[in-house]
Amino acid sequence: MYKVMIIDDERALRNLLKVAIKWKDFNLCVVGEAESGIEAINIIDDIQPDIIFVDIRMPFMDGIEFSKLAMKRYPNLKIIILSAFSDFEYARQCIGIGVCDYLLKPIVKSDIQKNLIKIVEQLDHDPRQTQNEINKTIFNENTNIQNIKKYIMENYANANINLTSIAQYFGFNPSYLSRMFKSETGISMIDYITSIRMEKAMQYAAKGILMYRTAKLVGIPDPNYFGKCFKKYTDYVYSDYIKQAKENGI
Amino acid sequence: MRWECFKQWVSTRKLNQKVKYLFLVIICIYLIVFLFMYTFVIRRNMFDYMMTSNMNTLVSIGSNLNGEFNNISQMSQLLMGEPSVRNYLKSPKIEKDNYNPEVLGALRNMMINIQYVSSIYLIRTDGNYIDASNSITYFHTEYLSDSEWIKDIYLKSGGYIVRVNAGGAFEYFSGRPMISMMRAVYDIDSQKRIGILIINLSEDILNESYQEVLDNGKHYAYYDENGQMLSKNEQVDEISRINITTQDYEQISVGGFFKEKVVSYYHVPNTPLRIAGIETLSLTKFVSKEILLFILFIILLTFISLSVLGFFIAHYITAPIQRLARSMSSVKNGWLQRVSLKTSKDEIGDLKDSYNNMLIEINRLIDELVENEKQTHRAEFEILQEQIKPHFLYNTLDTIAFLSLEREKEEVYSAIETLGSFYRKFLSKGSKQITLEEEIEIVKDYCKLQKLRYGDIFEDLYEIDESLKQIKIPKLILQPLVENSLYHGIRLKGEKGIIKITAYADEANLHIVVYDSGIGMSKSKIEALMTESNTKSFGFKGIIKRIRYYYGMEDIFDIQSEEGIFTEIDLKLPL
Repeated sequence: MYKVMIIDDERALRNLLKVAIKWKDFNLCVVGEAESGIEAINIIDDIQPDIIFVDIRMPFMDGIEFSKLAMKRYPNLKIIILSAFSDFEYARQCIGIGVCDYLLKPIVKSDIQKNLIKIVEQLDHDPRQTQNEINKTIFNENTNIQNIKKYIMENYANANINLTSIAQYFGFNPSYLSRMFKSETGISMIDYITSIRMEKAMQYAAKGILMYRTAKLVGIPDPNYFGKCFKKYTDYVYSDYIKQAKENGI
Repeated sequence: MRWECFKQWVSTRKLNQKVKYLFLVIICIYLIVFLFMYTFVIRRNMFDYMMTSNMNTLVSIGSNLNGEFNNISQMSQLLMGEPSVRNYLKSPKIEKDNYNPEVLGALRNMMINIQYVSSIYLIRTDGNYIDASNSITYFHTEYLSDSEWIKDIYLKSGGYIVRVNAGGAFEYFSGRPMISMMRAVYDIDSQKRIGILIINLSEDILNESYQEVLDNGKHYAYYDENGQMLSKNEQVDEISRINITTQDYEQISVGGFFKEKVVSYYHVPNTPLRIAGIETLSLTKFVSKEILLFILFIILLTFISLSVLGFFIAHYITAPIQRLARSMSSVKNGWLQRVSLKTSKDEIGDLKDSYNNMLIEINRLIDELVENEKQTHRAEFEILQEQIKPHFLYNTLDTIAFLSLEREKEEVYSAIETLGSFYRKFLSKGSKQITLEEEIEIVKDYCKLQKLRYGDIFEDLYEIDESLKQIKIPKLILQPLVENSLYHGIRLKGEKGIIKITAYADEANLHIVVYDSGIGMSKSKIEALMTESNTKSFGFKGIIKRIRYYYGMEDIFDIQSEEGIFTEIDLKLPL
């Protein structure tokens, strides 16, 4: 069973894809979706998809930018770009970064199915599974956990960091690092990064800074996704939090 | 009228033709002035001078001749003083055909002493005579009894008279004329007339009289009282044209221009002879060779100067202008090519440079024009593309596809209806204008469709003055603004927003205000919005350009914004 992730800023399209394709017939299942490239980067390490459908035109981080980043971090990932533009320039860029396919909207079921058969075949022949356990490194817990925490503190404003990028930076296997980090700190690294960002965001909110700006400042430049994270972390809608902070402050 | 024609003619000549004609005119003027000078100044002076000098010459020839006659007369006095001669004349009676060697000797002696004498006749009163002769001479003795003939001699009472052929009494066998000096002989003592002495002279005396003054171009001849030419001379035909009359002198001119001759005749006093002379008018006689050379030199110099001037004009003015004109004329064929002639750095060079600069400027303007035209076409094309909005259509279709799978039929029906309505109005062909109401309807449909796609992320509000709904405005100026509000304002903010469209009128303008509660714009961003280099706001610039073009005005919008709070675009359309 291979895992599929859908990234599109339109809920309707994500839903359409989920509903229209009989995933199980291809030995696939949709395990996650994201409204933007920013959101995708933050959750991709949790989901660990094998195939990604990504819309080319999205705010904050477009499909091409995301694909470049993803191909660097997850070389075995299969990316299918969806576009309403039959633009040669776009297609050329996509091929240049090693994207699997370039499909035109409105989506046609048979086209997608044809591509999926091909991709599943490729994945079946891919020796990816064995890679996971290689690359183990001796782990000096104390110093390295400190270093990683310090690195996160310094780089939380960079929208592109996630588990994999940090693992690559420090030379670890991502899943190994994930396990080690959780066992050392009792919290997953993704949650740790988010908590750092949210604490900062609360500080900004207290100063009355508008959400879309705070979102940028803390490294989640998609204010929609930031709003979700903030709500989850604080139980408050951002604007309500500002109001409350003002009242409390006074 | 003629003058106008002439001016017209001159102005249509080519430059080098004009120069040629000018030179021709200058040369003509030179010639005319020269001829005028010659005819009216030099020639007249020459003529006057020649008239006088010619007459003087004739007079002096005449007096030479008379002097000669006088000499002969004096010599003849000596003869008459000879006793033998006296005796012969005085003796009362003599034999016919008598031979008197003494008298004959005296006569012979006389002939020897005096030049030109061809015969001498000593005639007694009774008609007998003795003669000495060099040539065969007939004596018509019957004249002796002609009282008219003899009266002339007697009237002179001892003085001589001169007659041609002795008034007809003598005749050469050869037919040549002779000049006879005739006088009566008187006895010294008794003062009685005792005879007549006739000395016949050959025509040589006449010829000899003008030998000294003969000169190149001068000819002379003698005539008798009847106008008969005495000495034959083949070169004096023209003299014969003068009509010898009884007048003492006369002068005429014969021959054509530059070949003029003065013909004169003069009655030699005391003789029946007329001396006639012909003289050719000659410039060199009056103008010295040096002056003539000098004039020639000046004329030559003038021609050389004109030629040099002509060469200069041709080489430095007309030829470059012609080449320039030829080169420029290629523009006629549509080639706006610069002239790449080599010219001097004078006015012609300036002309070329400014012509080239002009061409550069024209070419630049044409390029600009072409570029503008291209841009206009591109803009129009992009508007067309914008009109169709393929990605909007495709995305909406996907949305509806999802609805059809998951939601109620009515919802799907409504969505498709809205999409149809939107495109029907949106693509409505024909006029470029549309009523405000229709434009608002397009926006409403658009917002409805976008909400289907993105969920409830914004709310669209309208505040339209009912009375303004039928006003015509340029088509499709509102929907793109609303699209901008959604994509560049509200969606980036991550919070639910408002898009509000207000239409109202003041004295001069219809205001359509598009307000959104999106992320707003900084001052510098607003300022950069309409600059050429800003390619991101192409859609917005396109709308503004279209509105400006439609109304022919520049000031048609205001932007107000606060960063993070709102953006408000106020279109001010003239009513």
